[in-house]
Amino acid sequence: MTVDYDPALIGRVFETTEPVPVSAEQIAAFCSAISETNPIFTDEAAAKAGPFGGIVAPPSFAVTFRNGRHFFEHIPRYGKQGFDAGKDVEFVAPIRPGDAVTLNSHVKEIYEKTGRTGSMVFVIVRSTLTNQKGEVVAHVDHRFMNRP
Amino acid sequence: MSNANNLTYETVQIGDALGPAEFYLSKDQVRAYAKTCGMWTPRFTDDEAARKEGLPGMITPGNMSLAILSKLVTDWAGASGARIVRMGTTYRQPVMPDHTLTLQGFVTHKNESDRTAEMDIWIESEEGDRLVIGTATVHFPR
Repeated sequence: MTVDYDPALIGRVFETTEPVPVSAEQIAAFCSAISETNPIFTDEAAAKAGPFGGIVAPPSFAVTFRNGRHFFEHIPRYGKQGFDAGKDVEFVAPIRPGDAVTLNSHVKEIYEKTGRTGSMVFVIVRSTLTNQKGEVVAHVDHRFMNRP
Repeated sequence: MSNANNLTYETVQIGDALGPAEFYLSKDQVRAYAKTCGMWTPRFTDDEAARKEGLPGMITPGNMSLAILSKLVTDWAGASGARIVRMGTTYRQPVMPDHTLTLQGFVTHKNESDRTAEMDIWIESEEGDRLVIGTATVHFPR
């Protein structure tokens, strides 16, 4: 069975976010929330002598950026509620304090799967994160699962 | 867990273990994550409200599970300069806070051409269920 959607949806960028500034305080709060203790993420002096020449955000910080406010209005819904089924992330470059990160997101794929518990529709949204220098820092594929 | 600062592409072997590391995840810590990351919604912050949504109680955001699991890899890499370049996760079952999680994994592949190692990683419950499974690719500098 194939799921019904407008093929023109795939690949279209509906909204680009405003640049989101990343502060040293935010990185520190994030580290504290996940009990991060590795000095390359938490200690300025140790980080300076470390592999990235200064504090960088832990890689998982890249998945905390939100899509544009109206992004999801453009994506078809299948059933009541979507669940976060998983992520596939490509970490291209570290995110540093002082960066400003912009998100461009598009629908990469829509497909249906039938499992033991019935039919599920997966919507893959790919967000590309770019810093203020125009460098791509990460690609995040969000895998949303819906039950029709 | 020790910071393996001498970790290099050459010393990593297929089958090398990451962890096991025990991690007690409290409800307050999940709330702190939800607050810091702009995910303050009832299912991540309040048992009663989460039950009204049909959940067994407040659950951990998928993004937080990813963060906890990626820490297993970055702890392993220490300050060696090895960097996660790719990571995938599948959320199989809700991760309930106020429980001890076990994080572990092992190296499955090495790719000489781009000096990367791949690993299987997962979060296990106290009952031994794999709640979150994933893979990571780590790049080693020369």
